[in-house]
Amino acid sequence: MFRRLQTKLSVLYGAMFGLMLALLAAASYVAITGNVREAARGELQADGAVFDRLWQLKSQQLQGSADLLARDYGFRAAVATHDAATIQSALDNLRQRLRLDKAFIVGLDGTVQGLDGRSLDDGADQLWQALSNADDASGALLIGGRPYQAISAPILAPAPVGWVVFAAKLDRTELASLERLSAAPLNAALLIRKSGGVWRVAGASAGPKDRALIDRFAAQALAAQGRALRLNLTGGPALAVVKPLKTLGADEQAGLLLSYPLARALAPYQPMLWGVALLGGLSLIGLLAGSGLLAASLTRPLAALDEAAHRLARGEDAHVPVSSGDEVGRLAASFNTMAGEIVERERRITELALHDSETGLANRRAMIQHLEVLAAEGGQGVVVCAALGVERFSLVRSAIGYGLVSALLKELGARIVQHHADLQPARVATSILGVSFRAADLAQANRFLADLIAALERPISLGETEVDVGLTGGFAVMGAHAESCPALLERANIALDQARAMRKRVMAFDQDAYGDPASNLTLMSEMLRAAEAGELALHYQPKLDLRSGLACGAEALARWRHPTRGMLSPDLFVGMAEETGHIRALTDWVLDRAIADQAALRDAGRDLQLSVNISGRLVGDRDFAEHAMARIAQSNARLCFEITETAVIDNPKLALELIEGYAQAGVAISIDDYGSGLSSLAYLKEIAAQELKIDKAFVLGLAIGQRDALLIKSTVDLAHALGLKVVAEGVETAEAAALLQTMGCDTGQGYYFARPMPLADLLRYLAGQQGSAAQAPARIRRQT
Amino acid sequence: MIAGAPALAADLTLSIKTPSGEPVKDAVISFRPAGGAPAPKAQGPYVMIQQDIQFHPFVLIVPLGADVNFPNRDKVRHHVYSFSAAKRFELKLYGHDETRTVHFDKAGVVALGCNIHDSMSAFIDVVDTPYVAKSDDQGEAVLNDLPAGPGTLVLWQPYLKAPRNEQVHAVTIEGSARQAYVMDLRAPPAPMTMTMPMGQ
Repeated sequence: MFRRLQTKLSVLYGAMFGLMLALLAAASYVAITGNVREAARGELQADGAVFDRLWQLKSQQLQGSADLLARDYGFRAAVATHDAATIQSALDNLRQRLRLDKAFIVGLDGTVQGLDGRSLDDGADQLWQALSNADDASGALLIGGRPYQAISAPILAPAPVGWVVFAAKLDRTELASLERLSAAPLNAALLIRKSGGVWRVAGASAGPKDRALIDRFAAQALAAQGRALRLNLTGGPALAVVKPLKTLGADEQAGLLLSYPLARALAPYQPMLWGVALLGGLSLIGLLAGSGLLAASLTRPLAALDEAAHRLARGEDAHVPVSSGDEVGRLAASFNTMAGEIVERERRITELALHDSETGLANRRAMIQHLEVLAAEGGQGVVVCAALGVERFSLVRSAIGYGLVSALLKELGARIVQHHADLQPARVATSILGVSFRAADLAQANRFLADLIAALERPISLGETEVDVGLTGGFAVMGAHAESCPALLERANIALDQARAMRKRVMAFDQDAYGDPASNLTLMSEMLRAAEAGELALHYQPKLDLRSGLACGAEALARWRHPTRGMLSPDLFVGMAEETGHIRALTDWVLDRAIADQAALRDAGRDLQLSVNISGRLVGDRDFAEHAMARIAQSNARLCFEITETAVIDNPKLALELIEGYAQAGVAISIDDYGSGLSSLAYLKEIAAQELKIDKAFVLGLAIGQRDALLIKSTVDLAHALGLKVVAEGVETAEAAALLQTMGCDTGQGYYFARPMPLADLLRYLAGQQGSAAQAPARIRRQT
Repeated sequence: MIAGAPALAADLTLSIKTPSGEPVKDAVISFRPAGGAPAPKAQGPYVMIQQDIQFHPFVLIVPLGADVNFPNRDKVRHHVYSFSAAKRFELKLYGHDETRTVHFDKAGVVALGCNIHDSMSAFIDVVDTPYVAKSDDQGEAVLNDLPAGPGTLVLWQPYLKAPRNEQVHAVTIEGSARQAYVMDLRAPPAPMTMTMPMGQ
């Protein structure tokens, strides 16, 4: 409901206390007015009692006088003898003496003497009735329409001859004196009711509304028997009580209305009530203000904390001033501590994120950041990223241990900084340190790095040990070699690999040598499809027997006519296949193809041994071996597997075992590229081979110098000694062919004789050879 | 004087009670024949004694023209008076063993009182007919030798609630009879007390 704590608190407090104050004020008001009413009731009751007493006293007083008169002998004589004049003068005399309003005689027969007869009207009969019914009848009496308090005394002469009646006016003066008697502000009025009529105020006129009211009220009040009731006159509400008065006429009823106007009753308390109301109002205002202030004092620090939290989230300084010692203050202090902790932790995390934990040097991420800074700075020259690799790192690590090798790298880093303070070396890989700098151009970068490496290659002493260190550097230039910093670093690393491959000390990234790995990868997936699509084909290069000049075999070579890139060299995709593991699929396809082609050849009447190149990766692959042998057995093919020596060296035991298997299965084994790369005479004797192929490098060099010829000669002798046939690859000239023949080489293969050709062309080629069907040369089994 | 053949004499017995059945005593019953009544004979002496601050009897019937003696048997003096129309007199303050005599020559009821002693009250009924009787404690009264024929029976009692305290009945005497009458009496007046100012 409320968005702000401040308003919420203020309103809540204000409402709560306001409600309480209101209740208090209401209670006070009710209590006071109730009290006043009760007091008024009490007053009325008391005044009613007082009035009763007064009436009684007055009656008694009058009665006394009347009795006195009634006993007077002379008066009695006058009344009994109907001496009207004497009677009248006696009455007048007494009236004056006693200051009575009316004094008259009512005879036994009902005649009235001493009063204007018309005054009583028909009340005379009732009066007589009342007088005869009781000996001392008294009460209110209407004479001439006006109320009187009347008493009577019987005149016995000696028998009752009549009654003397004394009457005192019940008028405003009387009532006024009664009113004055009361401590409270009472109004007294006399109520008269003729039988069958309504109650009305004697001697006063009231408004029509009031008249009806009074009539109703009088009936109620009399029924209530003296309990004060509420009377709502036009003048205002009042408490009133009606005391019944005895009347001398049975026809009439009289009552005394004592009313206590509540307004006047409340009047003395008005100031108090106003005071309470005023106090209440002021308290409420004060309370609202106070609660507003309290709420503010609570919410201000909370708002400050909230704002500080936002600042903290944004990474700005989030210190909150602590102003009090209470919960809020403690919260602020805790918050400050927390903010400080967060900042510290962030710093540590950042530090960890940007440093290598082993050496304490900056890490790859830091390097990239530094590169970005360099790039953003702008300036002359180009941004260069260089990767310096420690040579033979794993060997060094095995030698000196992990701990010392970290120290070594650290020392290298220190030296880099020594050499050039701005360099900021970083450990970008386990054995590679990266540096980034600005150089005028590529050449200058190269020179700089060369100098750096030279400076770094002094021996490092780690504790007691002294370690020699060799470094290679590859670098890449922003803009020329890469557009983004991560790519730049990547290119620098690749440049390092390239430098190592090229055995250079420092080398810039060579895009051409790198090629396009991405496209090469796609090439592989395309290759598999190409096999199905028929883009891949096997071409055959015949191997000619040098003596007979006839084809005694053919080497299967994969060719790929790529739809967009054209004819692709096997160096490209075979090498890629070997590196990506696709060589198995390729070789399986080549094998199937070769078997099928050999079957076709046989169908055409040519029985030719086909040679298939087996990658070094597959030489030790048992699964391939089983598959190949199954295929061969199934198809009864006559194949020769060409394997390089280096392939065997990788996993000699398994390779030799599988090769033995091939041999047992009737597959000829040919040692390919003999003389290039690593040749091991030890393995030469282990491999169950039938032939040995001399690398084309030697053959090509035949024309140039002596040495190659000598090497070939000795190789041929060696092979023959071991029982192997010798094939010379790369025969391109007739001289070479002739030379090879003289040296004793058995078979030749090369452009001089025939280029690799599709099967159809091979068939034609075989047909073109002199006449007779090629016969399988006798296999010379190696003596085991 | 009424001339005529003497009618048959009859006795009339009356029983007078209040509405609630109480016997009414001291009621005077007088009969006046239609033709007129002979004059009553005085049978004296008639005495109204004052004794023990009270008149005795309460009701005394005297014939017209009788003299009544008022002996005072009390040790105190009495001031006997009457304002009645039949006889207005007063016997001022006479004392013990003194007596006065008053002649009554008008018919009617004379109410007696003592000016000093409010409680003293008596009545003398001066009658002009011989046919008169007073009821006793049982409320019984007998009228002897009544002439037959119509007449007026008047019943009077001091407390009878009626104008002039009397009931008038027109009757015809046809022989001895017994009749009952009802009289509504008011309470005898309480002794007059002065109301003291302070309500004692």
